[in-house]
Amino acid sequence: MKNRLFFFVLLIEVAGCCKPSETIYRPFGKIRMEFSHTVGGRPLLTDTLLYTTATGHPYMVADLQYFISDIRLYHDGGKTLQLTSDSGIHYIDGRIPGSMQWSLKDGIPPGKYDSLVFTFGINAAKNRSNRFPDPPERDMAWPDILGGGYHYMKMNLMYRSSAGSVLKPFMFHLGIGQVYSSTLPDPDSITAYVQNFFPVTLKTPVVITGGKVQGLQCIMQVDRWFDGIETFDFDNYPGGIMQYQEGMHRACVNGTGVFEGEVIR
Amino acid sequence: MKKRADSIEQTPVAGYRVTTCEFLGRVRFDGIILLAVLSFYMVSCNKKPAQTNVFQTTPYKISVPRFFPGQLNIVADNPLTEEGITLGRYLFYDGRMSGRTFPDSLMSCSTCHDQAHSFECGMGGAMFPNGQTYGLTGILTPHFMMPMINLAWTNHGFLWNGKVSVENANPAMRTLEDVTWMAIVAPHEIHGDTARVAALFQTIPGYPALFMKAFGSGHVTVKNMGRAIAQFVRTLISADSRFDRYLQGEYQMSPSERNGYVLFMTEQGGDCFHCHGGDGNPLFTTNLFYNNGKDSIFTDPGDRSGITGRLNDIGAYKAPTLRNLVFRPPYMHDGRYKTLDEVLKFYNSELVWSPSISPLMHHIGTHGVKLVPGQLADLKAFLLTLTDSSFVSNPAFSKPDKFPDGK
Repeated sequence: MKNRLFFFVLLIEVAGCCKPSETIYRPFGKIRMEFSHTVGGRPLLTDTLLYTTATGHPYMVADLQYFISDIRLYHDGGKTLQLTSDSGIHYIDGRIPGSMQWSLKDGIPPGKYDSLVFTFGINAAKNRSNRFPDPPERDMAWPDILGGGYHYMKMNLMYRSSAGSVLKPFMFHLGIGQVYSSTLPDPDSITAYVQNFFPVTLKTPVVITGGKVQGLQCIMQVDRWFDGIETFDFDNYPGGIMQYQEGMHRACVNGTGVFEGEVIR
Repeated sequence: MKKRADSIEQTPVAGYRVTTCEFLGRVRFDGIILLAVLSFYMVSCNKKPAQTNVFQTTPYKISVPRFFPGQLNIVADNPLTEEGITLGRYLFYDGRMSGRTFPDSLMSCSTCHDQAHSFECGMGGAMFPNGQTYGLTGILTPHFMMPMINLAWTNHGFLWNGKVSVENANPAMRTLEDVTWMAIVAPHEIHGDTARVAALFQTIPGYPALFMKAFGSGHVTVKNMGRAIAQFVRTLISADSRFDRYLQGEYQMSPSERNGYVLFMTEQGGDCFHCHGGDGNPLFTTNLFYNNGKDSIFTDPGDRSGITGRLNDIGAYKAPTLRNLVFRPPYMHDGRYKTLDEVLKFYNSELVWSPSISPLMHHIGTHGVKLVPGQLADLKAFLLTLTDSSFVSNPAFSKPDKFPDGK
C-alpha cells in the first residue's frame, strides 16, 4: 500500500515537472515608434520662414499636432497583427516631447514583418466626440456640427501669398468633411459627412526579436502635404479648409505619401 | 480565619510576616501587577506622542461636472480637505491678509475678486469704477483681472502670461498655492510682508486652531495660507449655465442661441472654438496663448513672450474662459473693451495684423469674421447662455458671516 502511494505521488511529481518543458516559452518583442518631422529631408524648423511650396508660396509652420491609430504589422507569411495599445490611438504634438514617442504595450511574436500600416487620424468607429475629455487631445475636438469627433491633424502655418505681402495665417486642419447643398459652406445646408481618415503604409521591414524593443522612426515629410500627387495652393482657400472638403480631399490624397519609416538600429 | 492567622502574623512595625511559599506567590502576584502597570504606562507613553502629532482631515472630492476634464490641477502635497477649504474661505475674505488691522488698510483676495462679478472686480463699483485694480498703496496692477472660474482645470500656467507654472525656474512660482505670497508682496497688490501677515494671523483667536485642523500645526505660515486659499479657489466651479443644461438635454436653445452656437463652432462663421473650446471643451478656454490681433505695436513686457522669449508670442495672452461674460466687464488683458458688443465688433471688423499674429486668426485679411448684424446678435445670444447666476450667489463661495475671532 505504502509503495503504491509512493509511486502515485512520484507520478504526479513527474507529470508536474514535465509540464513546463511541454510549453516552449518564447518571449515576445515590442515596438517603440519615434516621430519626427522634416522638410526637404531636414528636420522641420518651426516659426521660421524657410520653406516654399511648389506653387511658390513661402511658408512657416507654427504648430503641428495629429493622431495616428490602428497600427497593423504585416508578416511576410501573409498574417496581419493588429496592435491595440492605448485604444490604438496616439496623439503627436511637436511641442510635447513626450508625445514624440510611442512605446506600444503589445507583445509581438518574434519574426520578420514586411510593413507597418496605420490610420492617419481616427477611424469612424472610434472618432467619437468627448472621447478625450483631457488636454492636450481635448483641444483637437472637431465641432459636432461639422461632423464631430476630433481633428485628424492641426497644422497651423503662415504663408506669403505674393511677393512683398504680409504673412497670412493658414489652418491646414483635417478631419471629417462635409457635403453642402449650398454654394457657400453654410452649416445648415450640410447633407452628408465624409470620413477623410486614410491608411498609411510604411514599407519598412522590421525584425522583431524576443525580449527586445525595436525602434521605428516614423517621419512626416511636411512639404509633401502641399507638393504630392495633388498640388495644394493656400490661395485657393479662405485661410483654412475644415469646411472645404475639396481641399481636405486634396490634402488627404497627398497624405498617403507623406510618411516614411526607418528602422532604428 | 484561624488558618489565615496561622500563616500570617501581624507585627506592629514590619507589617506582615509571611511564609516563604506565600512570599514567592506574592512576589509573583505583585510582579504581574507591576508588569501590567508598566505595560500600561509603556502603551500610554507610546500613545501620547502619536495623539499629539496625528491630525485627521476630511477629504473633499470635487464632483467633476459632465463633459469636464477628469484631469484636475491639484498639487500632490495639497489635497482638498473640508478643513483646508473652510480655512481658505476665511482667509480669502479676511482683510487682515494685508498684515494690517486699521480699517482703511485692509485688503484680501476678495477686495478685487468679488463674487458678484464672478470673482473679478467688475465696473462701476466705488473702488474700481473702470475695472482697473490697484494695490493697497495705490499702484495700478499691470493687467486687468482674469476670470477666477474653474481654476481646478487650469493648465499651461496661471495669469495672463502663464507666469505661474511648473515651467517657472523659480520653484516658489509654480502653483496656485504660490499666488498668495506673490499677492502679499506685490507692490501693485497688498505690498506687504509675509512674516508680518503670518505673525498677525497667529495672534487672531480661532485661526491657529483652524490651521491645526487643516494642516496639523497651529503655527501659522504663509505657505499654509497659500495652500488653504488654493483649496478654496479650486472649489469655485461654474457648471450650471443654460449651455451646461443644454449639454445635458435639459435646455432647448432658442433659434437665435442655436444660430449663435453654430457661428461659434464653425471656422467660416465666428471661429471662436479654436481658442475658446465649446464642443468637447466646456471650460470655454484652451488655456493657451494667442495674439488675437488687438495691436500692431507692443510695449507690454508682461505678455507671453516675456515668459517664453519667443518672437511669435509677442502680444499673446491666455485665452480666458467665456463663462459668465455678462458679470465680467471690462474685457481683454488691458480692459480696453467695456461691453460685450465692443468685443464682438473687434472680432468682426477691427483685427490688426502684426508679425506675431496667431495663425488661428485666419480672418485677419478682412480684419475680422465679417458677420452681419443679425449674426452678431445671435452670437451674443449664445455667449449669454454661458451665464451661471448660481455661481455668483452660491453661499459656499460667499463671505463668511463672521471670521474665526467672531469679528
